[in-house]
Amino acid sequence: MQDTSTEPVQGTTLTKPTLAFKGQGSELFSIQIVNIALMLVTLGLYYPWAKAKNLQYIYRKTELADSPFTFHGTGKEMFIGFIKGLGIMAVLVSIFMYGFMHGDNSVKFLCFAAYFLGLLALIPLAIHGMLRYRTSRTSWRGIHMGYRGTLGSMYKVYLTGFFLSVITLGFYGFWFTTNLRKEILSNTRFGNAKFRFIADGSDLLLVHIKGYFLTLLTLGIYSFWYMKDLINFNINNTLIEQDGKYSRLDSSLTGGKYFKLAVGNLLIMVFTLGLGYAWVVTRTMAAIVNNCEIIGDFNPDALAQTEAEYKNATFEDMADMLDIGII
Amino acid sequence: MFKGKYYNGRTSKGMPAFITLEHTYISIAWQTGEESGTELWYLPDIHTSEFNDDTTVLEYGSFPRQSIAVFEQGFREALDQKYNGAKFLKSKYNSFQKTGVKGLLVGGLTLLALAIVLFVWGIPALAEKAAAHFPLAYERAMGEQLHEQMMLGKSIDSAKTKALQDYLAALDVKSDFPITVTVVKNDMVNAFAVPGGFIVVHDAILDKMEHHEELAGLLGHEIGHVQMRHSTKALTRSLSYYMLLSILFGDVSGIAAIIVDNASTLNKLEYSRSAESDSDKAGLELLKQNNLNPKGMVWLMERLNSSAPEFMKFISTHPNTNDRIKEIESQIKQTKYKMQPNPELEAAWAALKSVK
Repeated sequence: MQDTSTEPVQGTTLTKPTLAFKGQGSELFSIQIVNIALMLVTLGLYYPWAKAKNLQYIYRKTELADSPFTFHGTGKEMFIGFIKGLGIMAVLVSIFMYGFMHGDNSVKFLCFAAYFLGLLALIPLAIHGMLRYRTSRTSWRGIHMGYRGTLGSMYKVYLTGFFLSVITLGFYGFWFTTNLRKEILSNTRFGNAKFRFIADGSDLLLVHIKGYFLTLLTLGIYSFWYMKDLINFNINNTLIEQDGKYSRLDSSLTGGKYFKLAVGNLLIMVFTLGLGYAWVVTRTMAAIVNNCEIIGDFNPDALAQTEAEYKNATFEDMADMLDIGII
Repeated sequence: MFKGKYYNGRTSKGMPAFITLEHTYISIAWQTGEESGTELWYLPDIHTSEFNDDTTVLEYGSFPRQSIAVFEQGFREALDQKYNGAKFLKSKYNSFQKTGVKGLLVGGLTLLALAIVLFVWGIPALAEKAAAHFPLAYERAMGEQLHEQMMLGKSIDSAKTKALQDYLAALDVKSDFPITVTVVKNDMVNAFAVPGGFIVVHDAILDKMEHHEELAGLLGHEIGHVQMRHSTKALTRSLSYYMLLSILFGDVSGIAAIIVDNASTLNKLEYSRSAESDSDKAGLELLKQNNLNPKGMVWLMERLNSSAPEFMKFISTHPNTNDRIKEIESQIKQTKYKMQPNPELEAAWAALKSVK
């Protein structure tokens, strides 16, 4: 564990780029109760507002150098996205259902093909849109994050990865995952700082091979270390470039800590009949963020605003619907 | 006056600042190196500030926002006192949090109770309403596809299917849908209804039967499910559950998949207790309509009951067989009619039994 003690914000000394998560399950729970109650009353339409609140809380409790992040997204913005997303999904599902109900096999085939191609075309769009929106709505000390990737290159990375994965029966998936992460991180800005992801598919493959065989050998016990390795793989291979100098994220999450987290989360979910979900979220965030530090010369006081204002939330919820866990 | 940090929205450098709460604005006097200045934040342009802890963060203006962070010193209380009721301090979330452990507990349990009510009564009632408005033609078309899907990988006994169709043709049946029966080879003693008039009967149950009235009862029971649209309702219900859960947990993918999934599990769909007893009544009704011995229904139940454990599946989806038998017997007592032999049905039954 690293030192997360808070110093008063006063003082002119250079702040250390410590990362910390200060959220509490009880606080998040109280937010979720209000959210769920309002969603029930509005038959689910409150969902985007609920999601915004949830994110606002999580961001507000995640700190870098003792200052919290801010999520600026609003329920209204995401509601518009939610409705558009729902509309697109409704069209696709209708096509699917039409094919399903149709007796003619060629019509069936056409409809199913349209449905899957539609989904396939939608995913890169959704990822791109979500990244644009999410980063633009994230700030820290007023400095906004931003996403500079183009839709074209996202399609290229995604479709290439997808087809090569299909052709190689999934084997290319490791490169697909890392290439997608490279594309995303190398286009993400944090003020005038940039990110880079330096691992390759072969590195990820090694993590999986090691994890897979050791899990088999230890009758599953290693699976916690396997999961830890996967999380650390994503964190430790992320670089931050600031004024030509590189810093690196470093995770000190251990298999033991992950074991405690996973088993604890499972017990909480089982014994509270799912009501303890808020604690699961805060415990997980704490385990990941509090074990993460920035190694190098990253100077949190020297970030400059580089983003222009951005408004569009269509694909935030699209990504949600398609269940793409990107970040 | 409070000490805090001021961020101007252009760089991330925190500038030491003195903050004063005035009547209609907050005054921020900042200084860094040689530069210094004073910002006046007018209340209407201060953004809503929620979820603060020891540090209170306020943001101001349009993009890029300026912000201040103030650590303790009673700043929060001073804000609440000075600007009581101001828009940027209002939050239904914060006020709920102030109710403490008691509020959380009451809120949590109320929600749990509400969820149970919704799951046990709300959704089935809604699903039933929705299913009742589903056009017959669509239901038939959907059933056709579901039926086709289910028959994939099953071996249909076409001789017995033909014989069972002949038996059904000899029965006097009332239904909104054309009834199509199929016999599949399966050792599990079971029969089930697919929306739109498709009835699937396992050959094991036919082999076990001794009286044709049992078969008439069984068909009546399944036709009852079809006629009262129980499986359509069950399908709508499980779809609604799925949609509710996915909305609560934020995953709306695969709604189409669940419909296809359900095709394979339709024979395991659970009908409610009342749906079963309504279908039992429909079975009795069919026997009465054809002047057959109402005992057929009881024999059917007893046969199902005695054939355990092979039957466990059947019993678990058709609960409380004993209660059902009692209910059927009391129904029989209430309705009296004259039984008549039906040579046509008996011949069809004999033909069905002779198929090997």
